[in-house]
Amino acid sequence: MTLNIKINGQLIQTEPGKTILQVAKEHDVRIPTLCYHKDLNPTGNCRMCVVEVKGGRFLQAACVTPVWEGMEIETASQKVMKDRKLTLELMLANHPQDCLICDAAGECELQDLAYEYKVEVPTWGAKGTRYPVDGDPNPFIRVDMNKCILCRRCESACAEIQVRDVWGVSKRGFSEVMVAGAGVPMLEARCESCGQCVAYCPTGALSNKMNYGVARAHQVKKVTTTCSYCGVGCQFDLLVKDNKVIGVQSNPNASVNGMALCVKGRYGYDYIHHPDRLVKPRVRRYLLESGKKPVISDQLSVISHQSSVISGQSSVVSDQWDWVDVEWDVALDVVAKKFAETRAKFGADALGFLTSAKCLNEENYLMNKLARQVIGTNNIDHCARL
Amino acid sequence: MTNKHIIHKPIAPEIRNIALKHGNDREAALEVLKEIQTHHSALTVDSVTDAARSLKLPPHRLYGMATFYSMLSFEERGKILRVCDGPVCWLKRATTDDGRQTIDKWSSMVHGPWSVERTSCLGLCDRAPAVLVNDEQAGPADVDDAQKVCEGWRGAPTDYSQPRKGEVRVMTALIGKIDPDSIEDSLANGVYDGLKNALRKTPEETLAEVEASGLQGRGGAGFPVGRKWRFVASEKRTPRYLICNADESEPLIFKDRVLIDTNPHQLIEGIAIGGYASGASEAWIYIRGEYEYQARRLENAIAQAKSKNLLGENILGSGFSFDIHVHRGAGAYICGEETALIESLEGKRGEPRPRPPYPPQYGFRGQPTAVNNVESFCAVPHILKNGAEWWKSLSGYKTPGTKLYMALGHVKNPGLFEAPFGLTLRQIIEDFGGGMLDGSTFKFALCGGAAGMVVDESLLDVPIDYASAQQGISLGAGAFLVCDQSVSVVAMLRELLHFFAAESCGKCTPCRVGTWRSLEILNRMAEGKGQPGDVDELKSLADLMQDSSFCGLGQSVGIPMKSAMEHFGSEFEKAVK
Repeated sequence: MTLNIKINGQLIQTEPGKTILQVAKEHDVRIPTLCYHKDLNPTGNCRMCVVEVKGGRFLQAACVTPVWEGMEIETASQKVMKDRKLTLELMLANHPQDCLICDAAGECELQDLAYEYKVEVPTWGAKGTRYPVDGDPNPFIRVDMNKCILCRRCESACAEIQVRDVWGVSKRGFSEVMVAGAGVPMLEARCESCGQCVAYCPTGALSNKMNYGVARAHQVKKVTTTCSYCGVGCQFDLLVKDNKVIGVQSNPNASVNGMALCVKGRYGYDYIHHPDRLVKPRVRRYLLESGKKPVISDQLSVISHQSSVISGQSSVVSDQWDWVDVEWDVALDVVAKKFAETRAKFGADALGFLTSAKCLNEENYLMNKLARQVIGTNNIDHCARL
Repeated sequence: MTNKHIIHKPIAPEIRNIALKHGNDREAALEVLKEIQTHHSALTVDSVTDAARSLKLPPHRLYGMATFYSMLSFEERGKILRVCDGPVCWLKRATTDDGRQTIDKWSSMVHGPWSVERTSCLGLCDRAPAVLVNDEQAGPADVDDAQKVCEGWRGAPTDYSQPRKGEVRVMTALIGKIDPDSIEDSLANGVYDGLKNALRKTPEETLAEVEASGLQGRGGAGFPVGRKWRFVASEKRTPRYLICNADESEPLIFKDRVLIDTNPHQLIEGIAIGGYASGASEAWIYIRGEYEYQARRLENAIAQAKSKNLLGENILGSGFSFDIHVHRGAGAYICGEETALIESLEGKRGEPRPRPPYPPQYGFRGQPTAVNNVESFCAVPHILKNGAEWWKSLSGYKTPGTKLYMALGHVKNPGLFEAPFGLTLRQIIEDFGGGMLDGSTFKFALCGGAAGMVVDESLLDVPIDYASAQQGISLGAGAFLVCDQSVSVVAMLRELLHFFAAESCGKCTPCRVGTWRSLEILNRMAEGKGQPGDVDELKSLADLMQDSSFCGLGQSVGIPMKSAMEHFGSEFEKAVK
């Protein structure tokens, strides 16, 4: 079945079941949106996407209105543009005018639309005085409800993508405000800090604490990469400033996960530049030199080294237990040698292999091959089974 | 506090029991919250969370509801005096205070276990100024009567047993002639004859009769009742549902309360006929929480009807089975909007849904649903009893049938009456309202309801029906607030906007912020402190709300604003300093 509709005078053939916004997008007609996001169920709250439908008494929200046969739509009539501009004014009247120091500036959908529609910010309204800034004690997500425009994307993202149902709407009318759970701190409302709400927030109402104030959008280079935490293979963008990773951002084009990430992927990136991070394989010194494990007394002496020096007793301290940075080949040789020795002496079943959820399926498969075919044991297991 | 701690905290047994009593039914969330409040004198974060866990809902769902409905509260209250803050009560008070100052005065008058709250409108406009004492309706009672009210005085409901001259009584014919709580009395006076007639016909014939009558929905929009039922009947999916909208919360309007109070069986009968015609199996009467008295009366009537097999399984041996439930709201005007009502009935915040899909396609529980007004249902039995032609003959005007009207304000005999369509405002004031009060001259009237049109004397002689809004005078739900020379249009509009701002659900931007901003401007204008540009801003806000709001609430706020400024522009200009 085909529907014939007109958008801005242009004849368009389309199928039933689509919204005005979908059809417009397919035909490169831009309709501005705020509460709409392609991943979330449309709600029609913000009224930015209103369009004029011929014969209709009211403007229609393009995101929730399905097309029907013979529909004639104007997406940028004078009335539409005037209403959108005034709607933006109403939002901005109660929005802090602190784009200068707002973390979202440069990638804020509200800012972009205000600019596009040349909105003059009204002098009236409550501008950033209604709620505590950084009002939630959780470690990752910075909450500033003064900047909230009540689009409710956070609620939808939490419910539909993460299925945690933390965010909700409370009160009504002008007093309406988003809350976590029954008006409690986020972590008490079952939040698992995935940060989906931050990713979907079109303004600076929800931002990240870890890199708050660290870089503007235009100052960072985005490097698309695959998460190293587990085998799912989520993709995201690392935000790089001055050759340092300062954050993680959802990449909407990620094929596996879309915008979704877990707490580790989104916030567990500080190991990258951590001073304790291992960047090379390490082996005990004795494995490189004698190959002979130092006797226990030597081992203890390492521990008692400090005290013996202080006590002035002379004691031979072994350095055989020290960690030494080596190349991969060296380290792998050591492992291979020990494996071979053990297998020769005690048989293949003296060896066991435990693989990691951080590895890919392919890597785990190879480990299985190594265990069963190369070494010859069925002693293989995986941490995800434990 | 860690997640672990929260998860392992057991649900308080008394909360669990309340939820269990309601079958752990998510649709009963509002009932559960109300019961918790009754038992614990207030809601708490813990009790709301526990209730959510019992019902297996996210806590924000119940907290969102608890903070949405005005009758629910986190503040401990003993006995509650809900003082009406509606425009009619405002007009009837002897002071020049705005509504909020009045509430403050009430607060200072009562002590002890009493706490005072404002309510947007109690639906007691014929007893204005009104208060709700816990569940009991009282009025007229001004601030000076506070002590009297606390000691038990309630006043009496207005007596409508004597028809006014010129009235054509159909739905109100039995007022004062029957004991409304007696089904025997009702049956002896012909109530349920319409249902019996319908059951002798096929559902299709019944539906055709209603369609032929041209009955238009009495909620205000005037959508043909038969056509709506036809939509539902033609949907293949079952079950289909009927909903009776008794969430009469708009200032000026109280007809549904009078209909329920004077003849509840007429409504039950009308709903049953609607069920038969539209192929529905169950109906809900969504009644506003402030009408507790009326809700009990309906429950009693339903029980009586069941005992006579006029409801329930195989009604009067016809093979038609039908049941009606009463669902109480908890204080939200928006729940009169049909999709918001359905959301509320499903145990959620009363926020409107996008339309389309309309309720006949996707309504209660996603099933085909017709939502009709109390008065619409009350008209149906008479059509089935006397025929569509008779119904049409009642009116000498193009719109068939009779309508309930409410004349309020500065007329000699305010109150409710029934008459055909096509009355003029002059007739409503002079013939039915007994003329203007002595010393009063007509200045303006608010026509339809709070979301109706403000008219001046130039529209006094326009015949009114659902189409007359084109000429600038709306029928709405049939209420007319007549104001004399002493009333400031600006101040009246301020009271209206206070109502809308308090009752906006907050879902969409134009209504959420637009009502609030308009009120801010009108507050200062009413004090003569308007600022340059205020009138223009009001006009563009009215346009925005009318064009771009999500639902009928926001879309209609602009109606009184624009009509008031159109007819009384100079008064608005003068309010700018």
